[in-house]
Amino acid sequence: MTFLSAFLAADAAKSAGEATSPVDTIINLFGSFGVDKPHLIVQIVNFTFLALVLYFFAIKPALGQLEERIRQAEQLQKDRAAAEAQLASAQKTAEAKLAAASEEATKILVEARNSAKATIEASRAEAQAAQTEVIAKATAAIEADRVKMMNEVRGEVSRLVVETAAKVLEQNLDDSLRGRLNEAAVKQLAR
Amino acid sequence: MSAASVRAEAKRLLAMSLEGGVVSADLVGAVLAALTKSRAAHQLRPLLRAYLANIRRELARGEARIEHAGPLATAEADAIAAHFSKLLGRTVRPVARRNDALLAGFRVRVGDDVTDLTASLRLANLAKSLS
Repeated sequence: MTFLSAFLAADAAKSAGEATSPVDTIINLFGSFGVDKPHLIVQIVNFTFLALVLYFFAIKPALGQLEERIRQAEQLQKDRAAAEAQLASAQKTAEAKLAAASEEATKILVEARNSAKATIEASRAEAQAAQTEVIAKATAAIEADRVKMMNEVRGEVSRLVVETAAKVLEQNLDDSLRGRLNEAAVKQLAR
Repeated sequence: MSAASVRAEAKRLLAMSLEGGVVSADLVGAVLAALTKSRAAHQLRPLLRAYLANIRRELARGEARIEHAGPLATAEADAIAAHFSKLLGRTVRPVARRNDALLAGFRVRVGDDVTDLTASLRLANLAKSLS
């Protein structure tokens, strides 16, 4: 930089003895304010160089990073929105499932109640049928016992009657009567 | 000898023992004499048993066994035998036996047929119908 400033100063000294142009006038005017051409050019070059250096090595990477951050932020925003949408969808699905489960539970409860009611009714009917059957069997058994007893009594009475009749006949039948009966029986056989 | 052949042989012997459809004691004696000579003892026993059963059955077929309560005149017994002779188409002779347990009437057995005209049977039937 020092070398460049010395070169520009030498060049300015060389041109001091030549005729002045409007530009030179302006430069001289600026020079009266302490701004001379070589220094201005050097400053411009320095500034340009510095600006380029800053742009390529500081601003551009910073802008890149900024853009990356912005992009990441936007992506995050999108992800967040998607996650929120997904969450909302999941909540909706969960609520739907919950509602369906609740409906299913209600349905199962109703079915269970109906089933229990039907089972109770069936058991009651079965019990009534069993009771009827038991009563019918008992009635039949009682009737059978009664009939059997009546038959036994009748048989016993008949046996006693016949035994008595046989004894009476045996005591009262004499040979003459038996002979007449035999004669009648022979005639009956002949018929 | 098998049971069937024994029965057939006994039947043949019975036929040889009949004279005019009636068992003849002489013919039975002749059959027995011939059997004892011609057959071994172990063959003779079943054959004689079957022959005896046939003779008994045949004799029973020719007899009217009359069981009666009280007196039964000979004429009445003959009338009973005549009735069965006519009914069965063969000569049947009466064999009477008194049995007052029958109360009154008589029971006649000819072979396997039984005719019961007794008061005891009537009473038994009465008891059966009442019970």
